[in-house]
Amino acid sequence: MVNFADNTAPDSQAKAGGWWSDVWLGLWTTLVGMRITLKYFFKKPVTVQYPEERMPIPDRYRGIHYLEQEKCIYCFQCARACPVDCITMEAVRHGKELEWISFSVDYNRCMFCELCTYPCPKDCIHEGKEFALVTYDRKELIHDLLTYRGLSDEAKVRLAEAEKEKAAKEAAKAAKAAAAAKPAAAAKPASAPGAGDAAAPPAS
Amino acid sequence: MSASLALSLWLQSARLQQQTGAALGSTTAPDSNWTLDLLEWVRTSWLSTKLAGLAGMDQAPALPTWAAAAIGAGIAVGIVIGFVSVVAMFSIWLERRVAGRIQSRIGPNRVGPFGLLQSLADGVKLLLKEDIIPSGADRKLFVLAPALVMASALAMFAAVPMADGAGFTDINLGVLFIVGISALATIGVIMAGWSSNNKWALYGAMREAAQVVSYEVPLGISLLVPVIVGGTLELGAASRLQSGWGGSCWFLFQNPFVLPAFVLYFIAALAENKRAPFDLPESESELVAGFHTEYSGIRFSFFFLEEYAAMFLMSAVGTALFLGGWNFPGIDLLKGGWLIAAQLAVFVVKSMFLVLLMIWIRWTLPRMRVDQVMVMGYKYLTPLSLICVVGASVWEVWAAVPFHERPIWMQLFTPVLVFGVCAVLGAMLRKQAIESAAQPTTRSRIAPRAHAAAH
Repeated sequence: MVNFADNTAPDSQAKAGGWWSDVWLGLWTTLVGMRITLKYFFKKPVTVQYPEERMPIPDRYRGIHYLEQEKCIYCFQCARACPVDCITMEAVRHGKELEWISFSVDYNRCMFCELCTYPCPKDCIHEGKEFALVTYDRKELIHDLLTYRGLSDEAKVRLAEAEKEKAAKEAAKAAKAAAAAKPAAAAKPASAPGAGDAAAPPAS
Repeated sequence: MSASLALSLWLQSARLQQQTGAALGSTTAPDSNWTLDLLEWVRTSWLSTKLAGLAGMDQAPALPTWAAAAIGAGIAVGIVIGFVSVVAMFSIWLERRVAGRIQSRIGPNRVGPFGLLQSLADGVKLLLKEDIIPSGADRKLFVLAPALVMASALAMFAAVPMADGAGFTDINLGVLFIVGISALATIGVIMAGWSSNNKWALYGAMREAAQVVSYEVPLGISLLVPVIVGGTLELGAASRLQSGWGGSCWFLFQNPFVLPAFVLYFIAALAENKRAPFDLPESESELVAGFHTEYSGIRFSFFFLEEYAAMFLMSAVGTALFLGGWNFPGIDLLKGGWLIAAQLAVFVVKSMFLVLLMIWIRWTLPRMRVDQVMVMGYKYLTPLSLICVVGASVWEVWAAVPFHERPIWMQLFTPVLVFGVCAVLGAMLRKQAIESAAQPTTRSRIAPRAHAAAH
């Protein structure tokens, strides 16, 4: 057992070097300490004034998601991978084009595990560097990741082109059919619109 | 309330000055004591003529002395309260900024430029807070304690000469007055601790009492050294004695024993003001907040302001008696109002430098134990201050003539000694810094890989 009383006993002080040595050590250690604090006084503060400046965020930080919507093929892999089922998505397919209705992440549940990003075949869902999630209402924590709803402009163009192509094909087919039907039409002009109707169903 | 207490103390000090001046046949009484001018001005000013006009008299009768004294003292106390508050608030700001920088932080920087108005904002907040008096408290003492503490801080200003002829009253027993009044704050602290009906508050008050009783001794004795050197207890006269050499002939450079006495005075002043490493009366790790545990709002702010005002005042006394008061190289070249302004600035800057030193020490040293504080006071400071007194007396008796009539080697001996000591200590600190930087023994420098390999 340690005898604490010994620390302050006069003879222990005497052993340390005597009275004048104590006086000198008291002064000297204070000066050394003051030198150290002075060194820190002139160092730059490490404080980051948060709203105005921010800490550098590492590249692999797992923050709020962002979605490259053009790439997404609505395959549900991310929603399936999510351990807490926080991803909800809804879209309508028009052939290859997608008409988006919703793609939301519920940050009440999301734990930023990044498991949603790995199975994505198109590498289109990512976790970004944004971390501030403070809201006044929990409802606001359900984030919609869509940058647009419905069809994208490109998809609209492509769809329109496809329509046009289809229409052109149909027109060509109809023309072909009409050309084939011409001799018959000469014989039976009343049946020509009926031939046009017959050509349309296979095209659609 | 504290204002009225300060007022009465101020009046007492004025009376003391008159009495002692008359008794000693004082010839050093300054001819430009502006408090007496103020009194005279109040007596004959437009206020009295206005009052006379209201009363329907053509000729304004001079105000009775007591009324003039009351009005004049009211104005003077108003000035003092304003000055003390501004100085204390600036010191609080300085403390928080310096603490921040020493801890690699920034400190308050939002309210006003560099956060200078932070103390004002805090003061307004404290004013608006609920004023709680515990149900078990001794109400009268509880209310009186912060007022008494504040009054002692304000009253100490009465005898501090900020510039030649601009002090309130240059009492010719100024040192005695200041030592006495500074101990008055302790009574307030003990009252606060006792009346709070709280064990921690009482512990804090008891510690304060023990500490002040112990450290008054070295404080007073080390103050005797400049008194011996100057041969006066009057702070203004002492400051005047320190001019020469272009204004740099401070007591610190007049006698080799003044430097150790100054160090001793500074340490004792730290203990008197309950500053770290002697902040046992309010040590928050043991006593919650010590004697002001139960105080809140404006009463707490009184204690808070008093701490910083007392720091400034102790520094001011140190400045006046050790560091040459308002004297500074080259200040003699100025004239009239500029001289007064420059003297005021020099005095305040010197005092603020000592306050900065107190803050610096606070954020350097850890708090001492109660027994260590007692050991330091009685076994180290008191004998050392006695040695200084004896040494200074021997030196003065040996020199036998006033400072400026001594041989030149004697005049230059102390400055050379002081600068030599500073240079040697600086060189030693530099050497120690280099050595400690070269030593890779601190725990934080263990290589993480080696640490991992050990497991």
